[in-house]
Amino acid sequence: MKSSDVILQTTSKIVFFVILLFAIHLFFEGHYRPGGGFVGGLVTAGAIVLFLLAFDIKTVSILLPFDYKWVTAIGLLISILTAAGSIVFNVPFFTHTYDHFHLPLIGETSLHTAALFDLGVYLVVVGVTMTIIQTIGESE
Amino acid sequence: MAFQILLNLFIAFVWMFLKVSYDPGTFIIGYLMGLGMLFVVRRYFRSRFYLGKVWAAIYLVLLFFKELILSNINVLKIVLQPKLDFQPGIFEYKTILTKDWEITLLSNLITLTPGTLVVDVLENEKEKILYIHAIHVPDAHEAIDGIKNTFEKAIMEVSR
Repeated sequence: MKSSDVILQTTSKIVFFVILLFAIHLFFEGHYRPGGGFVGGLVTAGAIVLFLLAFDIKTVSILLPFDYKWVTAIGLLISILTAAGSIVFNVPFFTHTYDHFHLPLIGETSLHTAALFDLGVYLVVVGVTMTIIQTIGESE
Repeated sequence: MAFQILLNLFIAFVWMFLKVSYDPGTFIIGYLMGLGMLFVVRRYFRSRFYLGKVWAAIYLVLLFFKELILSNINVLKIVLQPKLDFQPGIFEYKTILTKDWEITLLSNLITLTPGTLVVDVLENEKEKILYIHAIHVPDAHEAIDGIKNTFEKAIMEVSR
């Protein structure tokens, strides 16, 4: 007979998705209400950390096979490209633009390039947080 | 279970297409008709008719609320007594449940009712043992029987 983490593991399997949904919700709320890329990224990292606590590093790395350094790099690239995109249209660096579109299912929404910049921030925060935690966790 | 629900949804959608109206009212009527049809042919499914399972889940929730209120009153009595004459203790509880989610649900129900608390779960291939701390156990067998007759039975009813 050995002690088992059955309660923690089963609960985290369910709670993970709730936290992830909340993170996505925070990310998209950022323009009009409290939230945004930074908080969304931290909450996402929190969801992954919950898995790390319930299972072990090997299992989680099989489940989410990302190299988080690359995630950070891609996030920075998205942010810099979003900022640099304004140069092409002959306006100052970091000028954002938005327009109203009619999307299927969602309806009338305004799409803003700041959301892309926020996506970069989101990826950087997830990547950096997970890199720090995994590096500390793996060092024997 | 899942197949029956899917079939019921399918029947409801077919009813909507037949009526060429896509409002929720038509869907609900189709769904209820599907329920009736599934009830008629319930013996041809491998699992039992799924409304029984839904009812068992609702019963489990109601049972949990009842136990919550009752055990809260019991703990309140213990707390408000001028002299402390309760006997805390830890007893082991051999459960007949096997699946992970059943164990988790049982443990959470036990923990959420005040006075009892799951300390640890031991398991091997054959059996699973819950260690439960209770604030007042004059008789461990009585407490074990209480859990067996309420929560465990209700959870078995859901997963049957």
